[in-house]
Amino acid sequence: MTSRSPYLLVSYAETNRLLPEPYQRAIVALIAAALLCIPLVSGDYFLHLMNLCSIAVIGAVGINLLTGYCGQLSLGQASFMAIGAFTTAILAQRYGLPFIVAIPASCCAGAAVGFLVGLPALRFRGIYLAITTLAMHYAIIYVLTNYQAVVGPSASAGITVPPPSLAGFALTGERGWFYALLIVAALVVVFALNLARSYIGRAWVAIRDRDISAETSGINVPRYKLLAFTISAALAALAGSLGAYFTTVVTVEEYTLELAIVYLAMIIVGGMGSVTGSVLGAVFITLLPFAVERVFEALPFELGTTAFGIQEAAIGVAIIGFLLFEPDGLIEIYRRIATYFERWPFRYREIKPGGAR
Amino acid sequence: MELLVSILALGSTYALLAAGIVIIYKASRVINFAHGELAIVGAYVFHSASFLTGTTLTGLSLLATCAIAAAGSALFGVLIYFALMRRLLGRPTFVAAMVTIGLAIILKAAIVVIWQSRSVGILIGRQPLYSFAGGGRITWIQVISIVVCIVAFAALAVFFQYTRLGRQFRGAAENPLLAAQRQVNINLILALAWSLAVFTAALAGVLFGSRSMLSPQSTIIGLSGLTAALVGGLDSLRGAAIGGLLVAAATYLTARLISPTLAETVPFLILLVVMSWRPWGLFGTVEELNRV
Repeated sequence: MTSRSPYLLVSYAETNRLLPEPYQRAIVALIAAALLCIPLVSGDYFLHLMNLCSIAVIGAVGINLLTGYCGQLSLGQASFMAIGAFTTAILAQRYGLPFIVAIPASCCAGAAVGFLVGLPALRFRGIYLAITTLAMHYAIIYVLTNYQAVVGPSASAGITVPPPSLAGFALTGERGWFYALLIVAALVVVFALNLARSYIGRAWVAIRDRDISAETSGINVPRYKLLAFTISAALAALAGSLGAYFTTVVTVEEYTLELAIVYLAMIIVGGMGSVTGSVLGAVFITLLPFAVERVFEALPFELGTTAFGIQEAAIGVAIIGFLLFEPDGLIEIYRRIATYFERWPFRYREIKPGGAR
Repeated sequence: MELLVSILALGSTYALLAAGIVIIYKASRVINFAHGELAIVGAYVFHSASFLTGTTLTGLSLLATCAIAAAGSALFGVLIYFALMRRLLGRPTFVAAMVTIGLAIILKAAIVVIWQSRSVGILIGRQPLYSFAGGGRITWIQVISIVVCIVAFAALAVFFQYTRLGRQFRGAAENPLLAAQRQVNINLILALAWSLAVFTAALAGVLFGSRSMLSPQSTIIGLSGLTAALVGGLDSLRGAAIGGLLVAAATYLTARLISPTLAETVPFLILLVVMSWRPWGLFGTVEELNRV
């Protein structure tokens, strides 16, 4: 029996497998096992951080599909999250609907708004689109601010959301949330990976690389741009909705332009056009302020407001640093390491075709 | 009359901000999202420099403060170019725009770290110049703002129109490659663009800080400036002046007549209208749309 080199691919399906190498499958299995074991050994604080990461992963994957794959720069992600959070708050708090209805409804609301915000994308590219989504962000936040002032107990108190419950069991406590959010985040990641290697994902990449060539290749550019906005906004709304349930209170002040920029930072740091990259970036950026805080706690003197400022600056430094020195993000560092070991003892780098990774 | 002066004073701030955004855009096709932050940091520096030179801010100490702030802001612009933007030449312009977003975050954090987010006001020309019978009044600083803005725009116009460097600047803006081949020093031009832009931003910030209080939240004026630049057309200085006035008028009238909360959103509503009706702005060139 002859064995074939793992680098010789003989069918299209083989080029498109998610985890072609045995060691990759082993890594994924190890990470999954480690994640499932975390609650057994760690305290509530760490679990809380992990939960924040899971929510961030969902949002970051959403914006990466839009900005990383389809190449449409969006500063409106925070407003999509706000739409999701407010829809959840309204449905769960005012109408007492269970989360099984509220979460899908929030996604649909987010998708609808995403579709509307995406319409200008048919006219603009690049920075002009970013500015339009920026304006949309402020318009949406203004509407929600007024709504909150009317509906909530007071203009700034926000709306409280009851914990999600199913058949009498309420989801409370960091541990329960950890598993719930981990499952949702994993499902979103798998969904995005599959989407990215399907026709839709390849159409997005084609539009990103050159929209005119994409059009001449028979891709319906407007349709796929709008689809990218819709799906991305739906995922952002899902993150917003889960975030609303998780923090139990929704205030419009939470959804600032800074939040949209933080999500943009996640995919810059993680790697544009890579689902795995968005996971890495989301974890990196979410943990960054807490890591900075830890460093300051270790210092012998009190910093007060200064520490808070430096926490904020860290994200700016991360954006600039990665754009200047590692524009393909953390995922590229991982790829370099992986290639090094795959090729060892030789030292050449394979030129990889673009696509789902 | 009072209303008109107030609008003109606010408009002069927005116009100066827009001018800086236009200068950077023309030179490098980069939209500077850190402009409001640069303006407010400039104003904070001015405020701190006034303590160095004596707190009274009259006569000689005012001149010294202005000189420190002007030199500081112009140098900072050069620094931004050589430390950050120069490395991004040849990369897509939206990458540079995202770097300016990162810069904005850092500058805003700098206000928190260095000035502890203190709310400060620059105390020059707060005295009323003329009081009306109805209770309204015009302050010195409002008139100074308008005059400074007119002088700045006139100086920029003369510079771009009549000086050798200004002509080189316009040439480099139109076609950097050809300009470089005709011995225009592109690095010099781009560094000059950034230093001019940061200088005008700081000027706008100081004028803004003399009329109201400064805080990290005031950095939002950058987005009003951006709107003004887009209304006028991203590649037109004349447009920046008119856009600044239009945005100021709309914002001010909404705050007076309808509600102050809506006024904060007005620049963005204008932005949406401009983007759907005339995305190249009032005086901009249509082809610019495809260049970013």
